[in-house]
Amino acid sequence: MIKTFIQLELLKRLRSTSFARSLAIGIFLAFLGLLVLAYLLLMGLALNYLISEFFSPADNTVFLNSYLVFFFLFEIIYRYFIQQLPVFSLEHFLHLPVAKSGIIHYLLVSSFISPLTILPLLLFGPFAIMEIAEVYGSVSAGVWLGSVLLTSWTIHWVMLWFKQRFEDSFVVILVIFCLLLLGSGSTYLGWLDIGAFFEPIFTFALESAVPVVLLSMVMVLSYFLCFAFYRQNAYLEKLSEEDQFALNSTNFGILSKFGLAGEMASLEWKLILRHKKSRTYLTICLFFLLYGLIFYTNPMYQTVDGIANIYIFVGIFVTGIFILQYGQLFLSWNSSMFDFFIFQRKGLEALVKGKYLLFMGISLACFLLSLPYVFFGWEVLWVHLATFLFNLGITIHLVIYFALWKPKPMDLNKGAIFNYEGVGIAQFLMIIPILGIPYLIYLPISILVSDYAGLLALALLGLGGLIAFPKLSDISVKKVLRNRYEISSSFRQEL
Amino acid sequence: MIKIEKLKKIYKDVTVLDIPQLTIPKSECFGLVGNNGAGKTTFFRIILDMVRATEGQVLIDDEDVSKTEQWKSKVGAYLDEHMLLPYLTPDEYFDALKKIYSLSNQDLEVHLDKFKELFNDEILGKKKYIRDLSKGNSKKVGIAAAMLGHPEAVLLDEPFENLDPSSQIRLKKLILEEKATNMVTFLISSHDLNHVTEICDRIVLLEKGLAIKDLQEKTTMSSELNAYFNVF
Repeated sequence: MIKTFIQLELLKRLRSTSFARSLAIGIFLAFLGLLVLAYLLLMGLALNYLISEFFSPADNTVFLNSYLVFFFLFEIIYRYFIQQLPVFSLEHFLHLPVAKSGIIHYLLVSSFISPLTILPLLLFGPFAIMEIAEVYGSVSAGVWLGSVLLTSWTIHWVMLWFKQRFEDSFVVILVIFCLLLLGSGSTYLGWLDIGAFFEPIFTFALESAVPVVLLSMVMVLSYFLCFAFYRQNAYLEKLSEEDQFALNSTNFGILSKFGLAGEMASLEWKLILRHKKSRTYLTICLFFLLYGLIFYTNPMYQTVDGIANIYIFVGIFVTGIFILQYGQLFLSWNSSMFDFFIFQRKGLEALVKGKYLLFMGISLACFLLSLPYVFFGWEVLWVHLATFLFNLGITIHLVIYFALWKPKPMDLNKGAIFNYEGVGIAQFLMIIPILGIPYLIYLPISILVSDYAGLLALALLGLGGLIAFPKLSDISVKKVLRNRYEISSSFRQEL
Repeated sequence: MIKIEKLKKIYKDVTVLDIPQLTIPKSECFGLVGNNGAGKTTFFRIILDMVRATEGQVLIDDEDVSKTEQWKSKVGAYLDEHMLLPYLTPDEYFDALKKIYSLSNQDLEVHLDKFKELFNDEILGKKKYIRDLSKGNSKKVGIAAAMLGHPEAVLLDEPFENLDPSSQIRLKKLILEEKATNMVTFLISSHDLNHVTEICDRIVLLEKGLAIKDLQEKTTMSSELNAYFNVF
C-alpha cells in the first residue's frame, strides 16, 4: 500500500503542469537546505569551544542545559514558520477499501522525513561526543542526546497537530512569541530564570535513563494525539466553521477611482478576506511589522554613524512582505476562476493591474504602520522610506515576473483537512534571490560614497520604477496575455 | 443491505437531511430523485462516511459505517471527479485500483471487458490523462472503477449526466445485467426521470432533506413523479 502511495505521489508531481517550476524550487531548496545544515554542523562542532571561550562556566554541559529551553522555544517558532503540513488528496481514497488509519500513519511518518528532524542532532551531536562523552562517559552522552532529540521530535508532532488544529491562527503564535519574550526577558532581568528551571531535566539525563524513557513516552503520546486528531477529522467537511467576520467586509471607495483595475483590486481584497490561506498572508504582514524590534533594539547593529547593512533587509521585509509572499502565487490565487477573467473584456489586463494596485496599497499601509519605528532613530525612517519606494518601483515587478513562470494551480475552496497548504519554508526561501537585488545596488554605493547615498540610490531607482510603472506593468500584462491559453489550460486540468 | 436509522445532517441551524428510517434490501435498484439542493449528494456522502452525520447512523450489513471500514470492500461508488486520480491515464488508474483491491490481472481484464461497449474504444490504451478526458469519458472511468472488485452495492451520483444517448442506453443495460447476474444493489440519483423509472425498483423523492415519497409500484411511479415535477 505504502509503495502504491509513493508511486502515485511521484507520478502526480512528475505530471504536474508546473513540474519545471516545482523542480527548480526543489533544487534550490535542497541546495539551501544542505548549506544551512552544513553551517549548523559547523556550529555544532564549534559549540563546545564557543561556550568555554566566551562564558567559561564551571561545567559546559550544565551551562548548555540551562539554555536548552530557549532553543526549544525557538524551535517552536521556526517550526511554526517552516514545517509544512502533509498535503493529501483524501477525496481520491476515502471511498476505496484503504484503511483511514493507514493513510494517516503514512502521512505522519512521511512528514517526519525532513531536515528539521536531524537539525538538533547536527547542532548538539558533536557536543555530546566531544564534551559529554569525555566528562560523563559515552552512555550519558547517548542518553542526553536522546532526550534532546526526543524533545525536538515531540515538538514536531505537537506542531503538526497545532498547525492543523488552529490553521495557522495568528493569535496563538503571538502568545507563544510573547511567552518567549517574557521568558528571556525575565531571565535577563533576573526575576525568574526559566532556563535554570528546566535545566535539571537535562542534567538528570546525564545520570539516569529515566528522562529518556519518560520523554519517549511523551513523544509516542504526542504522535498519537496527532494521529487521533487527524483520524477523527478525515472527512470531506471543513475542519472548522468559517468565521462570519469575513462576510461583511468593507469596500474601499477609493479603489473605484481606478476603473476596472480598481474593481478587480476590490474583488481581490474580498478573495483575501474570505479565504483562510490568503488571510494568513495578511496576518504575516502584521507579524513582520514587529520584525524590526529584533534588529532595531539589538545593540549589535547600533552604529555611531551610518546605517547597519542588515537594516535594508529589515526595511524590505517590513514594507514588502505582502508583495513577496502573496505575490509569489500571483495568478494561483485566481486559478479556479481564471476563465472568468479571460472571458471578460480586458479582464486579464485589469486583473494584473488590480493586483498591482492592491499590493501597492497594502505596502503603503505597512509603511505607515511602521512609522513608529522612528523612535529608534531617524535613520530607520529613511531606510523604510527608501526600501518602500524600492519595493513599489522594482521588487513588485520582479516578484510578479518570476511568479508568472508556470504558475501552479491552487484550490482555495478546499477546506478539509490535508488540503490546507499553510505557510511553509518554500514561501520564505523563494524570497532570498529577490532580497539580494537591493543589496547589489546599496552595498557598492554605501562603501564607495556613503550609507545615505546608497539609500538615495534605492529610493531614486524605486521612484524611477514608479514613473515607468505603465511600461513595466505592461510587461507582466503582456506576458499573461501571451501565455493565457497555456495558463488557463494548466489551471483547468489540475483542479 | 443498507439501513438508515434516525439520520440527520445539520449545517449550522439548517437541517439538510432528515431520514428517520430507510432500509434498502440486497439487489434492489434504489433511485433517488429531487430538486437541486434536496440533499441527494449529501445523503450519498454520509452513506460513504465522507461527511459526518449529525445524528443517527448508517448500517451496511449491520456495520456502522462511521465505526468500521470493513464495508468499504463491498461498496463501490462514483460521486464526482474528485474520486479519480486526475494525473493518471485510465489504464494506470485501474492498475492502481487493482492493487488496492488486491485483484489479479485477469480479474481486471474480465471486469474491463464488461465495459468494452460503454468505453467505445475511447478510454483504454490511450495516452491521455484522466484530467484531459471529456466529462462524459471521465464519468465512464469512474463508473467502471465503482463497479470494480465485486462490490455488493454501488452508489452512483447522476450517472447519466454528460453521457451521450447511446452511452446512456449502454449504461442502463450494464446496470440491469450486473443486478441480475451478481445481485448487486444499486443506489442511483438522477434528474432523468425516464431512466430512473425504467431501471429502478423503487424511487425515493427527496425534498429539502426529507424523504417525502417512497414509490415502490412500477406502474404508477412515472405518473407520480411527473405530477410532482410538473412536467406535462
